[in-house]
Amino acid sequence: MVKKLFKFLGALIFSLFFILQNGYGSDREVIDRLGRVVRVPIDPVRVVSLAPSVTEVVFALGQDQKLKGVTQFSNYPPEAVNFPRVGSYVHLDVEKIVSLRPDLCLAIKDGNPIDAIRRLERLNIPVYAVDPRNLDAVMEMISDIGDLLDAVRQAEMIIKDMKERIEKVKTLVSRIQERPKVFFQIGVAPIVSVGTQTFLHELITLAGGYNLTQGGVSYPRMTVEQVLAMGPDVLIITSMTRGQSFESVKAQWKRWESIPAVKNNRIYLVDSDIVDRPSPRLVDGLEMLVHYINPELLKQTP
Amino acid sequence: MNSLKSHVIKRIFAVCTVLSIFLLCAMILGLSTGSSGGEILTGIKMVFSFFTDDASHDAMMQTIIWQIRFPRVLLAALVGATLSLGGLVFQALLRNPLAEPYILGISGGSAIGAILGILVGLSRFPGVAGTAFIGSMGTLALVLVMASGQTVLKKDSLLLSGVMVNAFCSAVIMFLISLTQDSRIHNILFWLMGDLSLAEMNQVMILAATVLPCFLLIFCLSNSMNLMLLGKEMAGSMGVNIKAVTIILLVTTSFMISSTVSQCGLVGFVGLVMPHLLRLLLGPDHRVMVPACIVGGAGFMVACDLLARTLPQHGEIPIGVITAMIGAPLFIFLLKRSKS
Repeated sequence: MVKKLFKFLGALIFSLFFILQNGYGSDREVIDRLGRVVRVPIDPVRVVSLAPSVTEVVFALGQDQKLKGVTQFSNYPPEAVNFPRVGSYVHLDVEKIVSLRPDLCLAIKDGNPIDAIRRLERLNIPVYAVDPRNLDAVMEMISDIGDLLDAVRQAEMIIKDMKERIEKVKTLVSRIQERPKVFFQIGVAPIVSVGTQTFLHELITLAGGYNLTQGGVSYPRMTVEQVLAMGPDVLIITSMTRGQSFESVKAQWKRWESIPAVKNNRIYLVDSDIVDRPSPRLVDGLEMLVHYINPELLKQTP
Repeated sequence: MNSLKSHVIKRIFAVCTVLSIFLLCAMILGLSTGSSGGEILTGIKMVFSFFTDDASHDAMMQTIIWQIRFPRVLLAALVGATLSLGGLVFQALLRNPLAEPYILGISGGSAIGAILGILVGLSRFPGVAGTAFIGSMGTLALVLVMASGQTVLKKDSLLLSGVMVNAFCSAVIMFLISLTQDSRIHNILFWLMGDLSLAEMNQVMILAATVLPCFLLIFCLSNSMNLMLLGKEMAGSMGVNIKAVTIILLVTTSFMISSTVSQCGLVGFVGLVMPHLLRLLLGPDHRVMVPACIVGGAGFMVACDLLARTLPQHGEIPIGVITAMIGAPLFIFLLKRSKS
């Protein structure tokens, strides 16, 4: 009888212990942007970022002391280069990640390979996936990461600043009569442009331009012939194409005098990292695009 | 007859012991090095501390060794064994020392099937493995039809048709890739040159369950392969059903090649390097060569994977690049020698 009582008490204490641990422990459950329930530490201190954009957000939130690893092409801010590398965004080095003993990995939905994410989870490493598919979602992503890293206030400040600057651009752009036709070139050989489902399309449209290659194909391949026929008013080339200088690409377009952008010398270079990387710097990119696409708007303001 | 058999068994045993030591060394090295850094010696200690219950047991290191490196090493071993055995069988059946699944386009055919499977969104097993098998059978048939009409498949015609099938396969692969818009394309590109980096235990188990029975079947038919090399009449008079054996061997080999391709992409020339090296050392007896190719090929591949992981400072080289860099010069050398 006494034995039974002891057994019962033991079981009770045991279960209480578990309840306490779950209720007041150092973990909590959140739902990430892949719709999965993820157990994350309340205050993670060993974070591995699985994309350059995530690294930028963590730095912008001032939480870089929690960062323990970044991906190969994390180049902004410059300090990010000094962190251990865990492979590239599309080819993660799982062993390296595990060896950094992360208590949280931040991944990108539809960017990092899902196999690698599942793999990390099976090794008991929590992975939270963000989904920065457009400008609004980038702000969601900043708020998500701020929430995870205990930097809610910083996140709110960044988002407020971004929203204000976007609003400013919107009021400016509402004054234009006609949208200049923009051809945005992200690839040189072959010539590649951007469709509707991209950041660049969103930024061009917000900046008061008309994206000539909008449509269902995200990264359509174009020919010189097609570009000539469309007659863009503005030609913007990103620095994405490595190894080829902006000047040589510009010189190639210069041959076609019939393009309005060539006639009026409106060919510009933009750093691809600030227009296609889902980070707070997208707003810098947006303001730069306004400057290139609708320069007269900026002249009117005092 | 009996004494001959026991002699063969003794030889098989001796050869396998030596090659197993090579394989074991390669595996231990493979387990003790990796991208998380650290000295090789401490790595080896870590590997052995698992068996000795050492106090220096480091949980994180043990996870890395047994859950990340171990499946990868095993997968490399299985793939190496399959590909070199595949090379051996093709060389025997087609009586052509230059035959090899990659060169003949069998691997390319499975790659087309596998990519189609991936693009349609099938699961890796059995979906992608199935489409890869269909692809490999298709190219096998194509190669055989193109090179048929001769009793002995001539070196040049067989190789030429293989080269053409391969060229066609790469064109189809590039076509499929240029049609794809989404982010899966990066994975496919890595996978095309051979990618073992995402090896997992259940994947290894599935592959083992599919290829190990094939190994056994091929070993059982190894004496028939010996007889068939002596000539059709000879083999027929010794009671070998040539047609049946040929078909069984071709289908089995294509099956196991396509399962490895669906798991880890295109890895070329392994089926050329190991069989030739071992034939030089051991002679042409297939009863010895089949087990030797299995164990030796496994060791070779584990060693190549080790190179692929450790040569670059960051990231890794696709394993197909390493095997091709070793295998292609050897192929040219063999071609030159067989011509003179």
